[in-house]
Amino acid sequence: MISLQYFLLLAAALFCIGIYGLVTSRNAIRVLMSIELLLNAVNLNLIAFANYLDPASIKGQVFGVFVITIAAAEAAVGLAIVLSIYRNRNTVDMEQFNLLKW
Amino acid sequence: MEQFFAQTAWLIPSYPLMGMVLSMLWLPSITPLTGPRPAGYLNLGMTGLACLHGAIAFHATWQQAPQYIAIPWLQIAELDLTIPIEVSSITLGAILVVTSINLLAQIYAVGYLEMDWGWARFYALLALFEAGMCALALCDSLFFSYVILEILTLGTYLLIGFWLNQSLVVTGARDAFLTKRVGDLVLLMGVLALYPLAGTWDFQELAIWAETANVNPTTATLVGLALIAGPMGKCAQFPLHLWLDEAMEGPVPSTILRNSVVVATGAWVLIKLEPVLALSPTVLSVAIAIGSITAVGGTLISIAQVDVKRALSYLTSAYMGIVFIAVGAQLSNAAFLMILTHAVAISLLVMSSGSIVLNSITQDLTQMGGLWRRRPVSGLSYLVGVAGLIALPPLGGFWSMLALLDGVWRDRPIIAVILLLVNALAAFAVTRVFVLMFGGQPKPMTERSPENGWLVTLPMTILAGFVLHLPLVLQTLSLLPDWAVLNKDVALVLTWSSLSGCSLAALVYYGPIAKPIRLPWQALQNLLAYDFYTSRIYGVSVVGSVDRISRLVDWGDRYLVDGLVNMVGLASLFGGEALKYGNSGKTQSYVLTIALGIILITLLMTWSSLTNLSLVIGG
Repeated sequence: MISLQYFLLLAAALFCIGIYGLVTSRNAIRVLMSIELLLNAVNLNLIAFANYLDPASIKGQVFGVFVITIAAAEAAVGLAIVLSIYRNRNTVDMEQFNLLKW
Repeated sequence: MEQFFAQTAWLIPSYPLMGMVLSMLWLPSITPLTGPRPAGYLNLGMTGLACLHGAIAFHATWQQAPQYIAIPWLQIAELDLTIPIEVSSITLGAILVVTSINLLAQIYAVGYLEMDWGWARFYALLALFEAGMCALALCDSLFFSYVILEILTLGTYLLIGFWLNQSLVVTGARDAFLTKRVGDLVLLMGVLALYPLAGTWDFQELAIWAETANVNPTTATLVGLALIAGPMGKCAQFPLHLWLDEAMEGPVPSTILRNSVVVATGAWVLIKLEPVLALSPTVLSVAIAIGSITAVGGTLISIAQVDVKRALSYLTSAYMGIVFIAVGAQLSNAAFLMILTHAVAISLLVMSSGSIVLNSITQDLTQMGGLWRRRPVSGLSYLVGVAGLIALPPLGGFWSMLALLDGVWRDRPIIAVILLLVNALAAFAVTRVFVLMFGGQPKPMTERSPENGWLVTLPMTILAGFVLHLPLVLQTLSLLPDWAVLNKDVALVLTWSSLSGCSLAALVYYGPIAKPIRLPWQALQNLLAYDFYTSRIYGVSVVGSVDRISRLVDWGDRYLVDGLVNMVGLASLFGGEALKYGNSGKTQSYVLTIALGIILITLLMTWSSLTNLSLVIGG
């Protein structure tokens, strides 16, 4: 049986990859996709904990369902925002959205 | 009735003070239309009142025990500053001399400053001087004498700076103030150091204390030297003598006062401090040394001057040096007598030469000559002044020099020789000035030279009368020694020294030697004519170093101190400028910052458990 730590480490690695993608991507869509990765890492944690520590009432899995729901909603809103920025700026390059530069 | 005047002698300084305040009503800015003359007349009246009061009080106190009056001034903590006033024949005598010379100088000034608009300022300052000197004569406390000396220093500054649109006047007034201030400040150190030792500042109690005082010799020497330094500056002694030369830029009537009585204020304090100075033989020797150097140097420089006022001013330094010698030799009576005879004689000399300068315009001795036939009154007055100044029996200067010489004849023959030399040199100097002014042929500047009006001539002749009668007066007051006990040898040598000085000068300047006279050693002649280059010595030594240090400190303040504080501001400015680039304007970099922050905080919070992590994983 694979122990809990490996799931947690996998989730953390996924989270790190998500953060890396979030910080370095120049395309706004890829930023949103990185956020999805982060949320998936969280979901992995929730389900792993539910499996190993709370097999009786599996509260983590319920949380996971909620997170997936909210992630879908967030992706919809995020894509809408990207679309509206695209209509104004004609680009989805994250380097171009710097109105707050010193 | 007379006693009443004696008891109210403390009022005398307030007459001229009142005159000082009232004469300012005629300042051109306050009374622009009717001219400033009433200021002078008012001051004459006030001085006359003071003189009269002094004369009556003098008569009342003659051969009486001194009376002491105490006026409370300030009591604070353990310090009791009461103004002690001594009403005795000697203080009232001094007041009489001061007020009468003032009266004459003020009448003289009415004539001399005929064409001047600044009477209000001039007479107010003369009145300030008169009040200060009367107060100094009455005052019996070292502390309050110091206060008065400082006020007189300020008065000197203002009076020399009377014609303040002339550049030499401004520098002269500056030097006079600073030089006298330096002396006064060192005097203040002495005054302050004396209090813990003696516990009093009253001259009388100081004298009593000094009789039995048991002071550490070094302390006594240092305090004594500080006490000498004040009068040294006041009396224009070497090396603080340049100011008197530059003070000759002021109007002649004030010069009369300055050369006769104002410089004597320092000597007055010095004489009163003699018991304290006597605590240390070193101090007495220093006083004698300073006095001797000044006396010899002053007379030598005076001989080499071409400016008549300056030729007389160095003689003032020289005679004050003789007073220093007298104090150093502990001959207070001779010193008092010297001050008196010198005051009347030198003021007569200055009045006479001023009367010549007034309508010959030039002060240059080389441009004067042949005035004897045209100006007999001025010439005779000058001669009387000469006879009163140097030791020519039977006039005043002879008796004071005799008393002094008599005192040092046995114990200190070197000083006696110096005194004789100074007397001969002074005789040479005044005779030289006389011959250059009155003798020889008229020069272009003195071709037409009428005698002045009565306002200038009258005070001069009255003063000449004073000088002539001084021995008689002194004899009546039995201040002169009897003929029987007179040291005939000393008297003879003294007379001989004056006569040789006079005749040598007459021989040189009436004789066939080519004029202007050149010494074989031109360098020496220049050295004396330029007052040993004292102004350059000041410039190199004290002024130069103070100037350098001031610039250095200024630089340090500007760049180091200010710079350090400005650095703090600059650093925060620069920090702000540099750190703003952290706001890259990119959302992703903000996210990175947040992520890194969270990681850092988490690491910090879990540092202790983190060290066990590997074990957990491994387990």
